[in-house]
Amino acid sequence: MTARSSVVIRLAGESGEGVISSGDILTQAAARGGYWTQTFRTYPAEIKGGPCMYQVRMGGERIYSHGKRVDLLVCFNQEAWDLHWDSLAPDGVILYDQTAVEIPEAYAARARPVRMEQLAREIGGSLRAKNMVAVGAVAGVISFTTTPIEELVLRRYAHKQGVADANIAALRAGGDEGADLRGSLAIVDPVEVEEDRILLSGNQAIAVGAVAAGLRYFAGYPITPASDILEWLSAKLPQVGGITIQCEDEIASISSVLGASYAGAKAMTATSGPGLSLMTEMLGYAGTAEIPCVIVDAQRGGPSTGLPTKTEQSDLQHALYGGHGEAPRVVIAPTTVEDCFWSAIDAFNYSERYQVPVILLTDQGLATRMEVIHRPDTSAVELWQRATAAGVQGGYRRYELTPDSVSPMGIPGQEGGQYVATGIEHDEHGHPAYTPENHVAMQTKRWAKLEPLRNGIVRHESYGDERPDIAIIGFGSTYGAVREAIDLARAEGLSVGAFYPRVLGPFPAERVEAFCAGARRVVVPEVNFTGQLARLVRGECGLRVESHAKCDGLPFTAEDVLDVITERTPA
Amino acid sequence: MSTAPAKRKPADYKSGLKPIWCPGCGDFGVLASLYRAFAELDLDPARTVVVSGIGCSSRLPGFVSTYGFHSLHGRPLPVAMGVKLANPELDVIAVGGDGDGFAIGAGHFPHAARRNVDITYLVMDNEIYGLTKGQVSPTSLTDQRAPSTPWGNLETPLNTLAFAVASGASFVARGASFNTKALTELIVQAMEHRGFSYIDALSPCVMFNNHQEEWKELVTDVAPDHDVHDKAAAFDLALKGGFKLGIIYREQRETLGQKYQALVEASKASDVDAMLDAFSARKGAAIGKPTA
Repeated sequence: MTARSSVVIRLAGESGEGVISSGDILTQAAARGGYWTQTFRTYPAEIKGGPCMYQVRMGGERIYSHGKRVDLLVCFNQEAWDLHWDSLAPDGVILYDQTAVEIPEAYAARARPVRMEQLAREIGGSLRAKNMVAVGAVAGVISFTTTPIEELVLRRYAHKQGVADANIAALRAGGDEGADLRGSLAIVDPVEVEEDRILLSGNQAIAVGAVAAGLRYFAGYPITPASDILEWLSAKLPQVGGITIQCEDEIASISSVLGASYAGAKAMTATSGPGLSLMTEMLGYAGTAEIPCVIVDAQRGGPSTGLPTKTEQSDLQHALYGGHGEAPRVVIAPTTVEDCFWSAIDAFNYSERYQVPVILLTDQGLATRMEVIHRPDTSAVELWQRATAAGVQGGYRRYELTPDSVSPMGIPGQEGGQYVATGIEHDEHGHPAYTPENHVAMQTKRWAKLEPLRNGIVRHESYGDERPDIAIIGFGSTYGAVREAIDLARAEGLSVGAFYPRVLGPFPAERVEAFCAGARRVVVPEVNFTGQLARLVRGECGLRVESHAKCDGLPFTAEDVLDVITERTPA
Repeated sequence: MSTAPAKRKPADYKSGLKPIWCPGCGDFGVLASLYRAFAELDLDPARTVVVSGIGCSSRLPGFVSTYGFHSLHGRPLPVAMGVKLANPELDVIAVGGDGDGFAIGAGHFPHAARRNVDITYLVMDNEIYGLTKGQVSPTSLTDQRAPSTPWGNLETPLNTLAFAVASGASFVARGASFNTKALTELIVQAMEHRGFSYIDALSPCVMFNNHQEEWKELVTDVAPDHDVHDKAAAFDLALKGGFKLGIIYREQRETLGQKYQALVEASKASDVDAMLDAFSARKGAAIGKPTA
């Protein structure tokens, strides 16, 4: 049997049963062993109980999506089998706890019972060692050495030798259980590299990227799936002299962020759709008063409270246009966990240089998935600072109409920079002014200053054919699945390429048009109901596009996208 | 012999913009008291920030020569908190009206108070919505007739002083726009106080709710023997009626900014590279929660 380049492992059971920790152990051990990984999980909105699933895809080459067909399904309970059997690949292997699960006869040949509970109690000394039995069994099937797992266990229980020994015993016992399936899903050994890769989630990548960008004030209100940005920064920001505060609500969060930024600090908040709704009034204020700030929107299923633990890309229009009047803002959609780090830096840079709120648009899938990425080279981080009123001599005009429409900002503490920030329409001095001429001049200034971001300085992602027959336009987290689908489609001889604008507002219409110029089909996959990006491309570029919007709470897989590209009926 | 630089005068804090308020508005008296208090404290206009919400009174930052932040309806307190926490060197005062602070902004008030953010909050309380032309506010009297309460106000007014004490404000006082000398002194003391200071300033709306003459009749000073450090006595005073002028409560308590400062100092200094190390696939990751 030839070794595979990557394997999709899905662990499923009841929330609280060890599914998540098994997945975490496996992911971290894989990363430690030199594999590339990407994870995907679904979990109930309830705190305890309900079905949960943790999928780990690991392989010897860079992985861009979580995968579709499950190669190895681990069932902790009957419901896990009932919910997931139809995701199995045709040659997929099943491991299950025989005391809890019955497997139909037709699958018996590739299913192996594992005495998870029994061995956990007898050898691991506690039911809590169940996850180690499961992980040991998985490691055997994929021919994954248990060494990195044992290293992790020793590290974790460095001060409790007994617990470490019990866990390692449970791990090894699990490995013996699936002995006759050993190696049936062997993965190729990872190429030995010197490079120090890192393993983290999209949320964590944004948080650490923001620190690299100079973040010194963070305020937020807990909301799924953005909360771990608040939690991580609560622990880390004081270490660089910054402050993280959990506010009473999202309105206070963004208000205090604007206060901090007005006072000179780089400031950020993070939320999901319901929180962005609450912040929208202050978002408009930031645009009008020209106060830099970064707002992370880790989108989740909507509308309203919607699907708190499921993914969706349905806040695009809200991010672009939400609010009363026409308030400028920049919208950036990172494509991968690695891109989350760099996008956070871009967000602060654009925000500071153009004195504008920047929305970082991720989603539950990208925010919570763990990915092995290249360690960012922090020496390559370039930081832009806002123009300030330091040294101005008399006659300071906060909202001066300059050639590039960016006006130096007075920072409290700077002599002579005093002004009043206000959402009321104002003249160059910041004084209330309502004349028609002034309003036109100020609206023009506030929008014109963003033009360099439309087609100029920003990075965009493209992949596949440069002048494709089938052009894919997408945004954000769908990038990985699209990228893998393009590889598959090109292997079938199709001409396919994708263009991912990283800045969606202002929209790079010219670049999208140029990319699609020779295309027979323009395909827009996105995870929402109404096809918001497709509408944007139609409106901005006047292109005839096919919308492939889906809103089942799940991210696209490469196979989903391939079906769209080839116009095949989904399997 | 060198001479000390001349102390700033109240007029030095005038921005030159003419207040938009109606003739006779109580807010003029509050503004005059603010100018005097700033002069008495000799505040540096370049290091002072006046934050407001929306409403007649919230136009105040425009009339002051310091830095100003005219925010949104009900939001001066979180904005002021952000300003102060980002730069503790600044003197920060939030101003606004009773509708701004205790209707739309009421959710922020107890949190600013309990956090003991080192800011002063000056509410110009006219017991009415002035800018929107006379509807009742959270401090309007029961039975009051107004455009939005044609059959009389069915609600009970909020006791903002008791609310402030209950919320953990470390300085609570009441002044009146028609008693500028005393109000000036309260503002001075509130700004000198380290922590969250709340001043309720009676400030009649001459157009829609002119209680000026009644208020002048009703107000008396807080008794000299009132123990401002006694929370129960402060409650008692707040609950008995709103027409005692002076400080009703004060306590010295560590501010949020001081606590954060201590936290920063106690934290192990780090940098981005060290933070990335913690995510290292090879050396950092450990079983348990994904590495934080």
